[in-house]
Amino acid sequence: MFASVRSATLLGVRGSRVDVEVHAGIGLPGFTVVGQPDEVCRESRDRVRAALLSCGLPWPTRRVTVNLAPTGDRKSGACLDLAIAIGLLAAQEVVAIDALANFAFVAELGLDGSLRPVRGATPLVLALTDRMAVVAPENLAEASAATPAQVYSAKNLRDVVECLSRRADWQCSKSFDLNSGESTSLNRDVGADATALNSRDLADVQGQPVARRALEIAAAGAHHLLLVGPPGAGKTMLAERLVGLLPPLTDDEAISTTMVHSSVQLESPNAGLIRRAPYRAPHHSSSMVSMVGGGTALMRPGEISLASNGVLFLDELGEFAPSVLDALRQPLEQGIVRLARARTSVVMPAKFLLVAATNPCPCGEGTPGVCTCDDAARARYLRRFSGPLLDRFDLRVAVSRPNTNELLSPERGESTSEVAKRVANARQIAFARFKCANSALTREQLDAVAPLSKKAEQRLRRELEAGHLTGRGYHRVRRVARTVADLNGAPEVVDDAHLNLALMMRVDLASGLRSRELVF
Amino acid sequence: MSSILSNEQLAAASLSALPKIGPKRLTTILKYHDPQTAWAVVQGRAKPHVVVAALMQENGLGQMWRANATLSLQQQILGRCKKASIHVALISEENYPRCLKNDISPPAVLFYQGDLQALATRRVGMIGTRSATASGRYMTSHLAFELAMNGVCVISGLARGIDAWAHHGVLRAREKKSASAIAAAPVGVVASGLDYVYPKEHADLWRNVAQAGALVSESPPGAPPEAFRFPLRNRILAALSEVLVVVESKDRGGSMITVDEAQKRDITVLAVPGSPRNIASAGTNMLVQQGCLPVVNVDDILVALGLDNRRANDNSFDPRPRLAESDAHVVAMMVGAPFTLDEFVMRTGVPLLEAAICLGRLEALGWVINNSGWWEVIEFGQRYS
Repeated sequence: MFASVRSATLLGVRGSRVDVEVHAGIGLPGFTVVGQPDEVCRESRDRVRAALLSCGLPWPTRRVTVNLAPTGDRKSGACLDLAIAIGLLAAQEVVAIDALANFAFVAELGLDGSLRPVRGATPLVLALTDRMAVVAPENLAEASAATPAQVYSAKNLRDVVECLSRRADWQCSKSFDLNSGESTSLNRDVGADATALNSRDLADVQGQPVARRALEIAAAGAHHLLLVGPPGAGKTMLAERLVGLLPPLTDDEAISTTMVHSSVQLESPNAGLIRRAPYRAPHHSSSMVSMVGGGTALMRPGEISLASNGVLFLDELGEFAPSVLDALRQPLEQGIVRLARARTSVVMPAKFLLVAATNPCPCGEGTPGVCTCDDAARARYLRRFSGPLLDRFDLRVAVSRPNTNELLSPERGESTSEVAKRVANARQIAFARFKCANSALTREQLDAVAPLSKKAEQRLRRELEAGHLTGRGYHRVRRVARTVADLNGAPEVVDDAHLNLALMMRVDLASGLRSRELVF
Repeated sequence: MSSILSNEQLAAASLSALPKIGPKRLTTILKYHDPQTAWAVVQGRAKPHVVVAALMQENGLGQMWRANATLSLQQQILGRCKKASIHVALISEENYPRCLKNDISPPAVLFYQGDLQALATRRVGMIGTRSATASGRYMTSHLAFELAMNGVCVISGLARGIDAWAHHGVLRAREKKSASAIAAAPVGVVASGLDYVYPKEHADLWRNVAQAGALVSESPPGAPPEAFRFPLRNRILAALSEVLVVVESKDRGGSMITVDEAQKRDITVLAVPGSPRNIASAGTNMLVQQGCLPVVNVDDILVALGLDNRRANDNSFDPRPRLAESDAHVVAMMVGAPFTLDEFVMRTGVPLLEAAICLGRLEALGWVINNSGWWEVIEFGQRYS
């Protein structure tokens, strides 16, 4: 007998449909899975067998072949367990084949027949929108986060059979509507310490007027930010507070971010659509694959995809492997990462705001006269950052340690909510122009929307003539200046003040090493 | 035997290349033997003087020297000297610098590149920290420039930081003056062998100093910059100077060793005072506290040398435009130690956007300079008020 059951497996951050075909025919009793299953997938035989027997369901004593179509793609993970079990039951006519036509199954089986949650419920179910998807109860919220269709669930294999035979009712998700107020109840933050992150307010930052403004500009114009300062200056503290300034994710962003996060399964059972910008801070020992994504069969998304639509914070930038840092360059330009392996290639989102922190020199102090590093040591240290990477930071800001007075001052700075208002306002102005953040403006667009005042033009000319700015730097400065002007309520012309601030937030790390023409 | 070194010089040079032969032991040996005999003595071919014999008894020095005093060592020294055109001056010889000859512990053998005639004028040593602030560097090269223009030889250690900038200033003066009269030549006193450039990035500077003036070392060619050589170098530097100027120095370190050596020799030490906020000036401020005369401009050094300072005044002119009152106020507030934009905003109370304009303007006028995110006010004289 033959049955075909719809399911899906995960590839990168997307689900791809799989038809599980089960044939039980004459021959010596046996069980083979074909169609490029991976190790976990092949082991499903034992899980399915135990699950069926635990639930008092029959195991066929015939020659069984399970084919996973399309056979060309590699299947991985245990998400096909339930589909195989249902296929076996249909092939034995325990379940009516007709009853399966509208269903799809995505769940792992326990030996006791219970349905277990799987990684990537959101993208898997999103690939099955034309069917009624059945998932484990723990996956229900996550699975229904982004799909417009209803998602069904049951506790164990026995219940699934009952429901399919209409002798019992499915457990259903609430119907999902992006625009309804109801979906907000599913909104959530990302990561285990999400609540801790929420409570981090910009008002906690004492002093640091420049770094504060840099955060505001970075959030408003989506400019990548490099914080340079001695240990204890509060670089990490500042970076953590940047996410709070970003506006909530739009629908498209929310779905894409939820899919990425779902596919690495970081979620709790009551997960919903991610509405807040994610914040990721990988350690500097992170490998290339963990950062950009990859793996042999299953193409797992890396940190840059997990940070997509949010903030990727790289603390101690100089300690990261140079190859890892340079691998960030292409995603930074394109907003996606395209990974190719011998068997597969996937595209994953990587539209993140990069914030990095570094010490100015090996001893960490940086302040001339206090720093104990000689020029050679400093030059060696700076050589860890490739020029092209440094060039991608529109904002490079020196952060100094707050002094005693600031630390002890009872005065609180502006709070996150106040600054976020200005950021939202500036973003609105920017998006009203070209539907993109200021950092993504092309040269032609820049000429159209960021005309320079006479004084500002003179200033830029001077910088260019002195050789402090390259052609590319010139455009980057203008983009930042555009954002500064937006924040300061000057949506038309970019003024001298805006430009000066943009220039000052572009610290040239190596300038202290160059001997300059002396002034006498 | 060769054109570059006489037999005597070669023997003395080879002696100085023996292991564990410091300036003291070398001086003792050369006091009782002439160089060629001394070489034969360490080789065991001649009978040592009683004192030298006693010296060679210590810790098996004699055996060690005998094992090392080979013909190949001699040829190696000769080869290195030829290759890098290194000359030797023995204390007994005519071309040995007169100012060293009467010193309390003169080096018995002196290696040099260039021309020792550079020392035949008034001499000022300039020393300081290796990690200098921008204004320290400017002050150094400015003073060195002015001194060279006034015909005073500037002696320095060619280390990183202040030392190097002193010679940058001198070389600049030579460039500027080459048409009419020649500015005084620079002299570098280094710790390693003359063909062992340290720090490496100063290779050009070494060459230029050797070409324009002289490069002096007590260490034989090929000697690496070992730690013990630096205090010895500092002693020569102090001995060669008539006046020693400390530009920026922390309260401990190599500069302070040189100052001690100078004080032992009764050489005038001058210090450039800095802001109490500036850690790089802690040492010089301490010296001023202890009674060293402060250096505000080049006149102070010229006066210490007993020279006419009228010509110097022509050059001590600050060409920068005068500042508006508000800018002058800001500059007066920030002068002293390096500061970040943060500190500027906080100390002056100027809003960030205006601060950006203000610093941009001051930078264009040459009043402040930005190094890797740290700003500094560049001051000469008191023109900012």
